[in-house]
Amino acid sequence: MFFDINAKPGKSISIFLGILLFGLAVMLYGSASHSRHADNPQDKLVPTPTQMWKSFSNAIFRPVIEQEFNDDGELIPNDEPKNLREAFKVGKHWEMLRNGEWQLLEDTLASGYRVLIAMLFIFAGVLLGLYMGMFPYLDKLLYRFILFFDKIPALAVLPILFIVFGLDETAKISLIVIGVAPTIILDTYLRVKDVPKENITKGMTLKASTQEIIYKIVFPQVFPKVLDTLRLNFKAVILFLIAGEALAAEAGLGYRIFVVRRYMDMATIIPYVIWISVLAFSIDFFLRRWIKKKFIWIKK
Amino acid sequence: MGSSDYCLNINNAHQKYDEKTILNGINAKIKQGEFVTVVGPTGCGKSTTLRLILGSELPSKGKVLYNDIMITKPDRNRGVVFQKYSLFPHKTVRENIMFGPELETFNLFEPIIQPFRYKRRRKEFKVIADQYLKRVRLLEHADKYPNMLSGGQRQRAAIAQAMIMKPDVILMDEPFGALDEGTREEMQIFTLEQWKDSKQTVLFITHSLEEAIFMGTRLIVISQYYQHDAGEEGSKIVKDIDIPWDHPRSTKIKNTTQFKDLMESIRYEGLDPDHLQNIGDFDLSHIDSVRNLM
Amino acid sequence: MKIKIKGAIILLLTVFLIVGFSSVTKEEKKSEFKVAWSIYAGWNPWAYAKESGILDKWAAKYDIDIKLVKMDYIPSIEAYTSKEVDACVMTNMDALTIPVASGIPSTAIILGDFSNGNDAILVRNNLKINGLKGKKVSLVEYSVSHYLLSRALDKNGMKDSDVRVINVSDSDIAPAYVANDEQEAVVTWNPLVMEIMKTPGISKIFDSSQIPGEILDLMMINKNVLDKNPELALALNGAWFEVMSIMSTRGAKADNALVQMAKAGGSSLNEYKAQLKTTAMFYKAGDAVNYMSGDEIKSNMKRVRNFCFKYKLLGDRVNTPDDIGIQFPDGSVLGNQSNILFYFDSSYMMENAR
Repeated sequence: MFFDINAKPGKSISIFLGILLFGLAVMLYGSASHSRHADNPQDKLVPTPTQMWKSFSNAIFRPVIEQEFNDDGELIPNDEPKNLREAFKVGKHWEMLRNGEWQLLEDTLASGYRVLIAMLFIFAGVLLGLYMGMFPYLDKLLYRFILFFDKIPALAVLPILFIVFGLDETAKISLIVIGVAPTIILDTYLRVKDVPKENITKGMTLKASTQEIIYKIVFPQVFPKVLDTLRLNFKAVILFLIAGEALAAEAGLGYRIFVVRRYMDMATIIPYVIWISVLAFSIDFFLRRWIKKKFIWIKK
Repeated sequence: MGSSDYCLNINNAHQKYDEKTILNGINAKIKQGEFVTVVGPTGCGKSTTLRLILGSELPSKGKVLYNDIMITKPDRNRGVVFQKYSLFPHKTVRENIMFGPELETFNLFEPIIQPFRYKRRRKEFKVIADQYLKRVRLLEHADKYPNMLSGGQRQRAAIAQAMIMKPDVILMDEPFGALDEGTREEMQIFTLEQWKDSKQTVLFITHSLEEAIFMGTRLIVISQYYQHDAGEEGSKIVKDIDIPWDHPRSTKIKNTTQFKDLMESIRYEGLDPDHLQNIGDFDLSHIDSVRNLM
Repeated sequence: MKIKIKGAIILLLTVFLIVGFSSVTKEEKKSEFKVAWSIYAGWNPWAYAKESGILDKWAAKYDIDIKLVKMDYIPSIEAYTSKEVDACVMTNMDALTIPVASGIPSTAIILGDFSNGNDAILVRNNLKINGLKGKKVSLVEYSVSHYLLSRALDKNGMKDSDVRVINVSDSDIAPAYVANDEQEAVVTWNPLVMEIMKTPGISKIFDSSQIPGEILDLMMINKNVLDKNPELALALNGAWFEVMSIMSTRGAKADNALVQMAKAGGSSLNEYKAQLKTTAMFYKAGDAVNYMSGDEIKSNMKRVRNFCFKYKLLGDRVNTPDDIGIQFPDGSVLGNQSNILFYFDSSYMMENAR
């Protein structure tokens, strides 16, 4: 039955099968975690869901508590509230919220900033691909060069980038751009070449200038397909983001994962990885919906 | 007759791709208002000839002139309807038709710089476009995208798109080739109706002899099947005739003996690879034909 | 169909049960052991112990088999924490933050050396420590470098928050610093420190010789393994101090040993000798025993522990610095007596002190 080509799975079994592997994975994880913790309650390698949730909620917000040590190395006790509930009781909760550490937010914004700037440059790459496809001289000048660049494994170039650009944002953003832009440029170029020549000739007979042909005839047709390629390459964007942050950073989702990796804090790493996946999935989801809505003229 | 009477003048045009010569001296003078149909065997260079007139290709030898000016690139004076891909897939039918007038009137930044003028003129274009849509019987489909239309509907839209610009010349490259018989005949009648009022020159390429004879005022046959001199290859115009029936024509003429005989003679003289005429024997009986013995 | 679904659920439960009841490795008496080491001036002698056969000799004496495994530093500690190896060399701070924080009770059975200049803060433009205020400092976050920086700031009346810490991965920290003039300060360890110092314009403004005894290099062994198999500790100690005596006795044998150690660490003999100058080795077991049993070690461990607590490196179950107990040779405990996870045990070293 399982391997029947003509099989038509019913609705309930389809749902069941769809969740089955997720359920299995969660169960396997749960039991592995359980047994490890029975052996060593402080185990960090396979954290329990409670541990992960505690770590994750700390990452979302953690109050900054000044803890000073005196000269003997003893903790100086202070009366400051230690968590939000205590703070709420003494009316200091707004102060605590303002002064507290919003780690997840900081990390997400830091990484998001890098991705955003990189995407701007990548979009410029789309325009470059567009012009390459339209102007034969530009084509001859750039095509082979960018093709070569596309083949360079960007991760191998990473240390060089940091040496040349320093440890700041430039190196990290350029890694993402170098890693992803050549593919996008080439894809745009190929899409442009796929636009039927008749469309362009027709445009000329309708008195379109070169710029109008590019931006009113070619680009609108090419854009949704380029967006699809961008969607599929987003995985690479995240990969390069994390690689760059792992090498040198002050904040960021990849930074956090690698800093705590040193002491095997899986309770932080696993939720962060899930968070990154959720973000990526959401971006992909909304982008797909937007493309479907805005570009209904595409024939599948 | 002064040469300025000729809207199009193809003067000994040759074309070759790599080392292969496709057109070996095409000569034709076409007056404004003619409906010229062009037929010929596969590979004879009909579409190539159309592209030379369109301007998307340049001849390797010879000249192609529009109103005595050499054609160097496509422009608004010679509209075109392709067999496929005439319409822009990302625009609705109405937007496709309005596109030409908009391109002609506005520059790239108009909507930002002069928003009111832009909106006003656009409304005017919409009105005109709707007139054309009514003529081509597509008004109820005006807001659809090309991928939602049938083949015949798309071609009607393409014709309207070309005609709204009121070019002197309309070039049609096998426009009904992808349609079924019934739709095809409808489109033939429709096209002739549109042409009747517009006084445009039409150059109509087709594979179908029946269609060519039915539609044209003048029929040109381009063919590579004639006696070549040594070392020569490529097509010439082997037949250039006046089509005797008056417009408007009834479809009934397709069944007459005269019609059928004409089809036969064209087939024999131009399309039969085994029958190779001598250049001097070409039937170039149309008044404006050019006998070029070179 | 219903039967098929039922069958699937039963299959699932079976898998669950199998996985659920599979046991994790339990410590027991055994005769084969794995010990991990990584390249560092104070640990290269282990390579010599292996190559010269000294380690095998001592292992045979106690009827056991010791396999010495060379790894990268952090992976070696991870292997120790996940119980893939029974013992591993590491610093006191890393022992606290990695295995001990993960609940692995660990005993320091050999005090090999302490960092006496091997960890340093390097700057450009002749910055002074108070000049670091507001500036970016590149280092491996939450490592001994971070601790060193914190101590340096403390000694100069500054706070950790006065500088901006940039985490840089240890494989790239040296070349990136050398190549980039804009980076003003870096904290790292040898041999990278020596490498970086070759570049003109860079000066050292603080190093571990100013906080002697706070960064200890220890052989840590899983306490549960140790309890069931004390022979491992005896063999390791015997081998180690035999090598130590060879190293510290002038002569051809010492020179030969040093050459081998240098080679094992991937440096030249002169480079290795230079590294040894900034490493305070305990060549005599007696000295190591005395230091481990002294008072200085207690206050140093307290400082290190406090640093780890401040940065939440002791694990999520720890609410006060005292939650984890650290026991010293005299039995005194720093922290919670009912949760001792870090042991200093000098008894095995004492065997070799005679």
